[in-house]
Amino acid sequence: MNCRWGTVLLWFTVLGLPFRAGSAASGAGPAFETHVRPVFARKCGKCHSEKVQKGGLDLSSMAGVRRGGESGEAAIGETLDESLLWVYVEGGEMPPKGQTPLTEQELELLKHWISSGSRSEMPVEPEEKPLTQHDVLPIVLLRCVTCHGSRLQRGGVDLRTPELMLKSGKNGPALVPGDPDASLMIQRIESEACPPRDQLLKYFVRRPPQSDVETLRKWIAAGAPVVDVQPDVATTEPDPLVTEDDRKHWAFQSPVADQQTASIDEFIGARLQEHGLMLSPEAERDTLIRRAYLDLVGMPPSLDEWQRWHSSSDADWYTAMIDHLLASPHYGERWGRYWLDLAGYADSEGGVSADPVREVAWKYRDYVVRSFNEDTPYDRFLIEQLAGDELIDVEAANVVNDEMVSNLIATGFLRMGIDQTGSRTMNFVPERIGVIGDAINVIGSSVMGLTLECCRCHSHKYDALPQRDYYRFKAIFQGAFDEHDWLSFKNRKLEIGTPADRQRVAETNPPLQRALKHLEAQQRQAIANVQIELLRGQYPDQLEADRLATLAALKIADNDRTLTQRTLVEMLQKAEALPGEQVSAAALAARRELANIEQQIIDVKRRMEPPLTIRALWDRGEPSPTYLLRRGEHDKPGPLVGPGVPSVLTDGRTPFVSEPPFPDGTPKTGRRLAFARWLTRPEHPLTARVFVNRVWYHHFGTGLVRSLENFGVKGERPSHPELLDWLAVEFVDRGWSIKELHRLLMNSRTYQQSSRVTDERVQRDPQNRLLSRMPLRRMNAEALRDSLLFVSGSLDDSPGGPPDPISVDRDGQVSVVPTSPGRWRRSIYSQYRRTEIPSLMATFDYPVMGPNCVERSVSTVSLQSLLLTNNEHVRELASAFASRIESLQNESNADDPKAQIDLVYQLALSRLPSDVERQLGVEALTELRNKWLGDRHAALETYCHTILNSAAFLYVD
Amino acid sequence: MSGPSENRDTRRDFFARTSDGLFGAALTHLLCQDFFDGASVLAAEADAVAHAAPGVFNLKPKQTHHPATATSVIHLFMNGGPSQMDLFDPKPVLNRMDGQPYPGNVEDIGNQGTADIGVMMGGQFKFARHGESGLWMADVLPHTSQMADDICLINSLWTDHPNHDNALYKIHSGRLFMGYPTFGAWTVYGLGSESQNLPAYVVLNDPLGPPKNGTRNWTSGFLPPVYQGTPFRPTGSPILNLKPQFDQPSAVTESARGLLNRLDEIHRKERPHNPDLDARIESYSLAARMQLSAGEALDLSRESRSTLSMYGVGEKLTDSYGRRCLLARRLVERGVRFVQIFMEEQPWDSHADLGPNHRGACERTDKPVAALLADLKERGLLESTLVIWGGEFGRTPTTQKSAAGYSGRDHNMQAFTSWMAGGGIKGGTAYGTTDDFGHAVVENPVSVHDFHATILHLLGLHHQKLFFERAGLEERLTGVKPARVVSEILS
Repeated sequence: MNCRWGTVLLWFTVLGLPFRAGSAASGAGPAFETHVRPVFARKCGKCHSEKVQKGGLDLSSMAGVRRGGESGEAAIGETLDESLLWVYVEGGEMPPKGQTPLTEQELELLKHWISSGSRSEMPVEPEEKPLTQHDVLPIVLLRCVTCHGSRLQRGGVDLRTPELMLKSGKNGPALVPGDPDASLMIQRIESEACPPRDQLLKYFVRRPPQSDVETLRKWIAAGAPVVDVQPDVATTEPDPLVTEDDRKHWAFQSPVADQQTASIDEFIGARLQEHGLMLSPEAERDTLIRRAYLDLVGMPPSLDEWQRWHSSSDADWYTAMIDHLLASPHYGERWGRYWLDLAGYADSEGGVSADPVREVAWKYRDYVVRSFNEDTPYDRFLIEQLAGDELIDVEAANVVNDEMVSNLIATGFLRMGIDQTGSRTMNFVPERIGVIGDAINVIGSSVMGLTLECCRCHSHKYDALPQRDYYRFKAIFQGAFDEHDWLSFKNRKLEIGTPADRQRVAETNPPLQRALKHLEAQQRQAIANVQIELLRGQYPDQLEADRLATLAALKIADNDRTLTQRTLVEMLQKAEALPGEQVSAAALAARRELANIEQQIIDVKRRMEPPLTIRALWDRGEPSPTYLLRRGEHDKPGPLVGPGVPSVLTDGRTPFVSEPPFPDGTPKTGRRLAFARWLTRPEHPLTARVFVNRVWYHHFGTGLVRSLENFGVKGERPSHPELLDWLAVEFVDRGWSIKELHRLLMNSRTYQQSSRVTDERVQRDPQNRLLSRMPLRRMNAEALRDSLLFVSGSLDDSPGGPPDPISVDRDGQVSVVPTSPGRWRRSIYSQYRRTEIPSLMATFDYPVMGPNCVERSVSTVSLQSLLLTNNEHVRELASAFASRIESLQNESNADDPKAQIDLVYQLALSRLPSDVERQLGVEALTELRNKWLGDRHAALETYCHTILNSAAFLYVD
Repeated sequence: MSGPSENRDTRRDFFARTSDGLFGAALTHLLCQDFFDGASVLAAEADAVAHAAPGVFNLKPKQTHHPATATSVIHLFMNGGPSQMDLFDPKPVLNRMDGQPYPGNVEDIGNQGTADIGVMMGGQFKFARHGESGLWMADVLPHTSQMADDICLINSLWTDHPNHDNALYKIHSGRLFMGYPTFGAWTVYGLGSESQNLPAYVVLNDPLGPPKNGTRNWTSGFLPPVYQGTPFRPTGSPILNLKPQFDQPSAVTESARGLLNRLDEIHRKERPHNPDLDARIESYSLAARMQLSAGEALDLSRESRSTLSMYGVGEKLTDSYGRRCLLARRLVERGVRFVQIFMEEQPWDSHADLGPNHRGACERTDKPVAALLADLKERGLLESTLVIWGGEFGRTPTTQKSAAGYSGRDHNMQAFTSWMAGGGIKGGTAYGTTDDFGHAVVENPVSVHDFHATILHLLGLHHQKLFFERAGLEERLTGVKPARVVSEILS
């Protein structure tokens, strides 16, 4: 390659004639062919020639220059400022970093050429393309089909194709070829009858700008010509936008396993040896126990289990422990949560301040947990989530079974992003495209290791991902995510259940629903009572009529209130903000009554069978055409594209083929299924690599490729490329089994190393990129909270179902409502509303999903220390922990502080204290008992609370 | 990470050398403030973690891109959209046409439709020129108008969305959607903190309740949480969990703290070269210091009677806002980088009864705001403190139908007024022009991105150079297309 380029360069250096300003004989400015083209060829030709057209730009001919690139704008304009090419070159953005920039002379020449009218010697045929239906359809899709399309045919009119436009509705054809003035659609638009002014918001359309109307007119005037344009899809011809060189990037080649090496330890050991190091000694048994438990199930072992492994004399105790943990139902709760981060799981829609709750998002959460527990092969897991609706024809099935339901729930993966399209005002095409963009973004960053987001507006700056490929990719989803035929969460409802599900719902829920309705009425009354009592208590002189007026004012939106109403409400707010001790007894009683009713509501809801509603994505078999959107703007359509995967991940000569999955059944495009099958081919360069790298990251703290979400050119290179490939191949060979992958990693010596750092290791392997030790890691938010609950005996370990509600106090502190007094479920089962994340979780880096979270940050801030030391809830748990210790003591050692301390260590830290720690504990307990004036329980509580605050508890070796 | 480079002092090495033993830690702690030129201890909390990983996220003071004229910001956020034509941007033509239909295309006015649009409504208050500069302000701002010569009115701001939610996201984070860092978060990401013992970015909420959009107004979005705003509680202990929420004799607390220190020291000693553990110990000691400092910073009883009365503390209408303005000054004095004051929900959102409602909102805020400016000025703090006043959009020249008839104005994203003062702003200026009705900008438009770029500029940050790499994208406060620093309003 270099060699060939060298030749080309030389060629032009010889032939390209230098131009000096003022030296041209004719006095005319420089000319394209003689002066400029050689410069372009030298400095730009690698990417912008006839053969290679990065960004859709060909600078080898004047026609190409005039046509410009994917933005649809010519590369040069009338003036310098209007010339995109000049702006890029002068601004130093082009040629890109690493390529030779233009010389001063070349810049001067280019400037002179453009400002003197960009002359060319050969006549340039102006490329006046006649208008076709594809100039008009995007306009009609955007402005008309919501009322004249598949769902609705107002006036009997359907405008989705030129044929249908001609076919007419009740009042005749929508257009008369050759006569725009006589065409009904032009008349309707120009008289502003369509889209109707008072219904713009109802149908989420905006009026077309004049330029769009002009385009419609011109096309009709030209006789409404229809040309057979095939959508842009991959063909067997070479792709001008992506080169063979681009495909050579390491991560775009299928992984190949090194035949010589057969284990993780060999790969790691060999590299360590090169640096004069070897693996650290094996960690102590108790360390391994705690590490494996927190790693696989996210909680420390129970006392029994710890004792079992601690004292096992079985040589295989460790592998037995790993098997035991992988079989635990808590495994899926731990590892499923990682996947939920990637999917961007949330229990609310987000986007608007009301942040509506997603009632049944939890079904997807349960699906994920179940899949991990059942060790669903990863390829199958992906196929279900990407195309579960195209696997079995549910719509045509006589009887719905569990598999069908599960497949549909799985597609919830594509519905996890922020979605404001159910709101009254935020369901226009740009917002819908945003929702689609988020789904694509999630797939790219979580599964493919690609930053697809970038090429929504322009070709990727670093990776060979042309903008075209983004829109081909978008076309894959068009059958389900159609911005011109949109189902928002308000207007789509999928209720599917097996006969058994249906029966359970029918039997259980109706009486409970009645009870709920009754309770909710009581709740409203109770709220009013509280308010009235607060006012009575705080403002005894206020007229009763004003109190009632206050309640009435609350029903008016706050920004529609008169000043009088505002003032009344504000008095109430002041009364509501009073600290408890200043509130009247009557108001306190009313508050208790309200709390009582609210608890009853929660209880009734818990007893209800989950509804049959599913949050899914399904293909509807009638996709609108997909157009590239220039600069990503919804009203700047470019060429028509068809479905396809990024060209750089293919050999560039294989078309993307999809076919309807149920030819005799429900119509579906089958595009997502084809994509999922392509993605899960064993030789796919990214799928297995990206996933094993993630699993590695969770076990070892850092990915082999550190940029988990970016395997592209700008991503980091793997620290151990051969190991990564070997793992990827092993993973696929072992049937994409995730549990097998855990075994592979955790049974290695590398995983069982000690985390102690020596001077030598820190010097030779400062970042631990060589894996010369295990990293010390802080528990993430879930592991911390779950461990607190577990250790203190406050864990309700019932799995699944609707999320546990949260409550928000006046300080905005969010806490999870217990399932029964003093008991809470695991953190994965709490409600995660985007606007109300439980405070403990948020403080320990529970992320903002935007749209997903590819890697959690780990912060160490004082708010965490404050929370763990001062928060009431944490203290309650410490107290429960102390009581548990007391209950575990037998009569003989009830007074023995040493026995207490030993138990605390075993439960909280899965080990016995060292002599020093025991001694320190005894002294501390004695001191605390004194300071608590002899209250032993309080002393133990403080001691337990301190242990739960200690680094030894929070960090895992 | 690609914010401004850090002052990478040798504090880290120092830590490494002395980190053995409790004594070492304590010594480090004592010395670092003296030896390292006041390098923030708060900063140290994320410091160690940060150094272990490639992404370095902390609150250490950072170098600016260019010399700053402002080192701290007080943002007086006016939730709901104050009306420009009633407060700062007088429209005689509009006043004359009071009661007549809007002469242009009504669709240009309507946000969601045209059904609710009423007739034109003239300004509700009397305007006069103020100060030597002769800035226009309405008579409901009798105090602010006295500070006119320090104020720069930007009459030509415009935004992209007529809904509160989105416009709030936009004005705070530069984007129309949730999940992006606010400009306060960007500021502390770019500059770090000057304070030893207080959070870098403090939010002062209304005791009556949170503002619309709640905590999302001060989120760090995709930036690490160390950059998010810390709300100070209006009553009780200022920071959540600052004090034990349970009964425990202070002697016990002391013993527990001592025990924790010793346990952690044992733990750390067995695990050398683990900077996370240093950071953790720091975070506990900062937590302890914060208990003292926050209390002191928030204690208004240390202010003189005249200062209190200047802010209107103790007066019925101004007490609440006055306290928060005074607190803002005390926090800035103590090195807090960014202070935001919010009001409950959206007091300026006057769809109904605009005259009385706006008058009411002015009566609460005008005096405290003016006092804040005067007080900062007197203490020489205004030079380095940028004060920003404004909401998320403006209001329409026409009335809107509501339960109370046609007596208020709808949202207007096409034009609104904000003002800035101090920190390198040219006082006594009015920038930008709107049409005869105050409905749209006709001259010198300032986009929200321009507004943010200008604020960053005053703080010594360049909006193009301040970015955060996320999923392969360089994310900026001001988005993809370069914004414009409004240099005409800089002193």
